[in-house]
Amino acid sequence: MTGSFLPILLTDVLGSFAMMILALLCLYKARILRELDTDNAVFLYLMWISTGFAVFAVSRSFGHILKQFLILTGNPDAWHAISPYSGGVNTVSFMLVGLITLFFNQTWKINEKILAGRKELEETHIRLRQLNQTLEHQVIERTERLAGSEYKARRIFEQSLDTILVTDDRFNVSEINQAGVVLTGYEKKNMLENKMGIGDFMALPSEWDRIRSLLEVHEYIVNEETDFLRPDTSLVRVLITGGVDYGAFGCGKSFHFIIKDINDKKQMEQQIAQADKLAALGELSAGVAHEINNPLGIILGYTQLLLKENSGFEEDLKTIEKHVKNCRNVVSDLLSFSRKGSAEMGRVDVTRVIEDVIKFLSNHTDFRKVDVSLDLLRREPLIVTGNEQELAQVIINLMINACHAVEKKGRIEISTEESDDGRIFITVKDDGTGIRKRHFSRIFDPFFTTKPVGQGTGLGLSVGYGIIRRHGGDITARNRKTKGAAFTISLPAAPPGDAAPEEPAKDSGLI
Amino acid sequence: MNPVNRLKFTALPAAAAILLLPARAWAIQLHLTSEGIITHQLGHLFFLVSMVALIFTVSGKGLNKQKGWRLIQYSAFFFILWNLDAVFGHFLDNQIQVVKLENISFNRMRIVAHENSRILYWVYYVLKLDHLLAVPAMLLFFRGLSTLVKEQQSLGIKKENA
Repeated sequence: MTGSFLPILLTDVLGSFAMMILALLCLYKARILRELDTDNAVFLYLMWISTGFAVFAVSRSFGHILKQFLILTGNPDAWHAISPYSGGVNTVSFMLVGLITLFFNQTWKINEKILAGRKELEETHIRLRQLNQTLEHQVIERTERLAGSEYKARRIFEQSLDTILVTDDRFNVSEINQAGVVLTGYEKKNMLENKMGIGDFMALPSEWDRIRSLLEVHEYIVNEETDFLRPDTSLVRVLITGGVDYGAFGCGKSFHFIIKDINDKKQMEQQIAQADKLAALGELSAGVAHEINNPLGIILGYTQLLLKENSGFEEDLKTIEKHVKNCRNVVSDLLSFSRKGSAEMGRVDVTRVIEDVIKFLSNHTDFRKVDVSLDLLRREPLIVTGNEQELAQVIINLMINACHAVEKKGRIEISTEESDDGRIFITVKDDGTGIRKRHFSRIFDPFFTTKPVGQGTGLGLSVGYGIIRRHGGDITARNRKTKGAAFTISLPAAPPGDAAPEEPAKDSGLI
Repeated sequence: MNPVNRLKFTALPAAAAILLLPARAWAIQLHLTSEGIITHQLGHLFFLVSMVALIFTVSGKGLNKQKGWRLIQYSAFFFILWNLDAVFGHFLDNQIQVVKLENISFNRMRIVAHENSRILYWVYYVLKLDHLLAVPAMLLFFRGLSTLVKEQQSLGIKKENA
């Protein structure tokens, strides 16, 4: 039977072209899909199957088109020769597609495992990220706290009024705060460069040996009292507390010390003790003076009566009279020291008193070779409430002591100052031998003197001390940095415009 | 016993027996010409079975809820039909040779059917239009892939937005 071949021919040729184009488009789409998710095994499978389809479609379509072309161009023999190969390739290609298709189940399982793994990985990643964020927050928070803590510790270290000292395991200074620099008198740079140890600050090496042995035995010391020797040879009384730190975070063993300057406190304690002692001595002296004063009056009275009667013992009686008068002077001084006497109080111009004293002493033979210089505050009168004679006596005593200290041929300076808190200072300085350290605690004691026997009663300073305390003031002694000693009288300035004389305050000290 | 050990215990003695007890063997076998068409037909059937398997696997995995995979299923169905067409067509002309097509001219042909069967003529004529099944199959596969690409791209955008 014959029929139109055209439908078959058109379907075959056009269909073959369409198959080729569609297969290649499938391959293109599968490739896009694969690139969208490279880890997806199903997409990889679709890529393979599309490749299979492309091979199948191209080989088959090419065969069909070639077949139609050869037959229609009158070369059926050629087609018969190629046909088996075309058919063979065709068979292999769609078997390949079938084979790939059957792998879908395995591919799917692999993909599920990959997806599960990926999900687990993502969850782990999220957890890890959360942990990381938490960790970062904690690190930030703790770093801030640490920085705050470090800042506080640094502030405490730097601002502390007590010395904070850190040494290495050989007691060499590794850190010291500003208070420590002030206390020791050494520059921090010098301490570190010269590898100074804490022992180098101590006045006595034996003290350091003692403290070091305590540290080695107990690994700590508490309130150990010792003296530091400063570069200017002055001594500072200190209280040391310290301990060992075996270190952490890679730090080595070190020692930490807190050192308190107790110099002022110690001096104050000594002054209080001195004041107490002088008060007790004053009480005792007052009693003794009172008991002696009356018999001395009787002895003097009778001696003077006998002198009037020409008894023939005039020389002896005059000697008795002279010594009794000396005794009465001593008793009078004792009473002055213990405030048992009475004195009128009024407004006293300190500058005028000093000038009168200097004028009076300039005629004294002892002061002829002494260079007395004045540095008085003259912009306004320095008025105190007190007894002019008593204050003049105190200044005279200080001047006489200074004159003896310079051995009658040195230099004495008198200066006055007024502080903002209403105190007036009178300072008498000399360039003499100064005061020995061991005498400091006794110089205001009654009858204490460093002069040869017969040259001083030892009552000058103690009487002066009593007078000044009675005036509500204070008197202190120190050695000058250069040479000699300096005595400073401190008195409260009188209230302005108060012209009326005042009684001394009852609580101004029982000395 | 694990598979590897089992293989060792069975394959090794078998190999030893083959090597130690040789017998006469015909190394090269003579093949008949009909083997070509049989192989080709088996190939079509294998392709067909794989497409059936694909349809069921896609359904089994619940992938047919996605439009892309559904289109791929339809594509597989059309490939099944195409394979049936091809198998039947080859069966008629190559295997039992009850029909034969001869080209007379560019637009004329002659179909020589067994006993001039008209039914056979038309059946064979329709079977020869197999591209009417193959092209839609390929088109559906392309559409399926295109849909999957779009779905994947929109999924990626959602993820990025999230």
